[in-house]
Amino acid sequence: MASGGSVGEHPDDPSGPSAPGGPCPGAPACCPSVFARAWAKAVSGTSYLPMTQAQLEALLHRLTGRLAAALVSEPFDVRVGHQVGAELVAAHIASAEGLGRTIEVIQLRLLRDLGLVTEDVEDRMARLLATVATGYARALRDRTLDEQESIRRAAMVARAEAERALRDSEARFRHQATHDPLTDLPNRTLFTERLAAAIDSPGRGADRVGVCFLDLDRFKVVNDSLGHQVGDMLLVSVADRLRRALGEHLVARLGGDEFVILVERTAGTDDVVKVAETALAAVSEPALVDGHELTVSASIGIVERPVAGTTPVDLMRAADATLHWAKADGGARWSLFDVERSRRELARYALSAAIPAALDRGEFHLDYQPLTSLRDGRVLGVEALVRWRHPELGKLYPGSFIELAEETGLIVPLGSWVLAEACREAASWSSFGAAAPFVSVNLAVRQVHRPGLVREVRDVLERTGLPPERLQLEVTESTMMSAVEEPVRALRVLADMGVRIAIDDFGTGYCNLAYLRDLPVTELKVAGEFVAGLRAPADDPASRTDERILASLVSLAHALDLTVTAEGVETEGQADRLRAIGCDAAQGWHFGKPAPAARLLERLSAG
Amino acid sequence: MQRPDWAPDTIDIERPSVARMYDYYLGGSHNFAADRAAARAMVAAVPDAPLMAQANRAFLRRAVQFLAEQGIRQFLDIGSGIPTVGNVHEIAQRIAPESRVVYVDVDPVAVAHSREILSGNDRAVVLQEDLRHPERILAHPEVNRMLDFSQPVAVMIVAVLHFVPDEDRPDEILRTLRAALAPGSYLVLSQASDDDRHDTGEREEAEAVYQRTDNPLVIRSRRQLTALFDGFGLVDPGVVWVPQWRPETPESAEDAEKAVFMGGVGRLGG
Repeated sequence: MASGGSVGEHPDDPSGPSAPGGPCPGAPACCPSVFARAWAKAVSGTSYLPMTQAQLEALLHRLTGRLAAALVSEPFDVRVGHQVGAELVAAHIASAEGLGRTIEVIQLRLLRDLGLVTEDVEDRMARLLATVATGYARALRDRTLDEQESIRRAAMVARAEAERALRDSEARFRHQATHDPLTDLPNRTLFTERLAAAIDSPGRGADRVGVCFLDLDRFKVVNDSLGHQVGDMLLVSVADRLRRALGEHLVARLGGDEFVILVERTAGTDDVVKVAETALAAVSEPALVDGHELTVSASIGIVERPVAGTTPVDLMRAADATLHWAKADGGARWSLFDVERSRRELARYALSAAIPAALDRGEFHLDYQPLTSLRDGRVLGVEALVRWRHPELGKLYPGSFIELAEETGLIVPLGSWVLAEACREAASWSSFGAAAPFVSVNLAVRQVHRPGLVREVRDVLERTGLPPERLQLEVTESTMMSAVEEPVRALRVLADMGVRIAIDDFGTGYCNLAYLRDLPVTELKVAGEFVAGLRAPADDPASRTDERILASLVSLAHALDLTVTAEGVETEGQADRLRAIGCDAAQGWHFGKPAPAARLLERLSAG
Repeated sequence: MQRPDWAPDTIDIERPSVARMYDYYLGGSHNFAADRAAARAMVAAVPDAPLMAQANRAFLRRAVQFLAEQGIRQFLDIGSGIPTVGNVHEIAQRIAPESRVVYVDVDPVAVAHSREILSGNDRAVVLQEDLRHPERILAHPEVNRMLDFSQPVAVMIVAVLHFVPDEDRPDEILRTLRAALAPGSYLVLSQASDDDRHDTGEREEAEAVYQRTDNPLVIRSRRQLTALFDGFGLVDPGVVWVPQWRPETPESAEDAEKAVFMGGVGRLGG
């Protein structure tokens, strides 16, 4: 292909086979089919022709007939040339070369091949060529414009589709980015956006906002016992119920079993409480999950406040803290944020957080309170009591920080410090010889349960040189409640070393005397409550009851070879009655308030 | 917001499209300035480029005609481009009106244009997909609605495989397609080749032109092309310069290597 050839040459074999479909097979040279074949040869390769050579020749044969007719018709019809030009373009013989070769082949061969002779043939030929060229150019221009328009339209359609697909995908992506894949609820991102919007740009009548922070109770049990798959299905079910029950409010899943509900445009606390109650009811509906009928409850922390002056972070922190109150109160309830309670908790938190630094800076010290013999008034021992000289809050007593330290575990370093400090100071009292008092140190539950207690005590005694029998460790009954063997064993080892073991607050806790069998206890300290009863006149029935209880405790202790110390003795009368029932020793304001070691030493020296 | 990998492409008509360049070679006006500039650069480097496109198009026409005469009534044309003059459904449906044709192209503009051309023809559809993901093409609902793979199907991959580099595993692509075909199905393949062609530096220049498009050119030898028919029995005359494949007249096969494209038709036995 691709050879246009010279259009002027005569075919070598004019009688050769003509185009199939041609009107005169086997005709001589003066036949349209010869011309058509030459024409076909001339235009082939000028552009892609979507037809066979035979089809091309058939087409051109037909057009040849029309051209021939136009040359001889009277009057001359310009439309024929136009139509032939247009038909060529329509048949995709539609390139500049196609036109040039067509003009050339018609001019050179048409008259000769068809044997046409007319009077004004040159004139007519010129006009015919002009009309063919005109028709061709018009058609090609139209076709070009049409194709340009069509491809441009296609590009626009494609672009619109691409943009729609992009928008769809961005919407999809946005949905994915703002929703939780498990429950399809809004996620933390969307919730935070909406909360921030509610706070930052409150609309009309939207100057207050509420949040319910919801957490399922004991969800971990479901996960652990039925598996995470059931756990997930339960979350989906809870999400559906919340969505259904609270349709108008934004319900989001923050992760795990935590959900949060945004209540906008509240008029007051009641609006949010109503929402919380609806949510609790929705959660507690029994649900059939994977064949298990599960009933769960939830706890909710509610915060409702003016949008002015709050931030999303503040609000969520408050809701989180409030949720913990609901949990601490047993769950299956809502709890309402309370500024005072929160402030107290924050202060307590700040205080407990300050303990480690306070230990480092030496802000703690010990006061000592004497344990006095009721027989001869001698100071048998002293109880070490920790004090905190807080740089801002002044002197703090154990009541304001020991419980906190126990909750946070900071009791362990603090208790160790107290033990070491008490032993250090007590060791320096050896100059009193046999009269030197023992020092009594309180041990918290965590300290007793901690492995290494024995070693710690032994190290302290070695380091300070305090004889073991001058150290008394006070433990509470509840310390002994544990089923764990370890604490009892540790205390027995310490007792074997000679350390005194006292049971503090005896008779007020859960009283299981069984431990007295296993534990070499030296002393029982009887709680001040019983002693307080002794302040009333001896004929008061209640007072008599307390006295009998005390007498029984004393006889029980003595039967077991234990000594008894009464705490909280404030009057001479109490002391007399205790002495009368055989109590061994007493502690309380009547015998001396807690005081620094130096003051105590003065008294001992004077005594 | 980071764009996820399934976010669609945008349309950039400032970037030459191989489909529209091909249309330009065929004498069409379905192209933009950037396409024409690239195509003219190609013609400057390889003056025969339009002839190559025409020869390839003619090969497609003869192949479809041959397949229709063999009784094939289902066609899957992958890389169909701008289906202007002499497209598969016109040829096939002229011979057998019940013939079904699915066009596949990766170029969204070509697809939009095809959709317009095919509107009203319920036996020819177009979809946008990439030859490099044959499994997606085979799983496409339109493909499965139109074509019955329990019956012979002709898969046409004409003048497109030279845009698939070796690292995209054209052999794997063809294996995947072949596995979906019933016995008696056909594969029509053609692509740019340089077998026996005197190296005039045209190859480098042509490759440079196509570097500007999304589809760099990969020229393959007759041996490589024949290997891609693995599993198919080659129909006479095998893999040849496209003008030599069952020419209508002996002279149309002259100077065949100028066509640059080699092609062939294979039949799945059984």
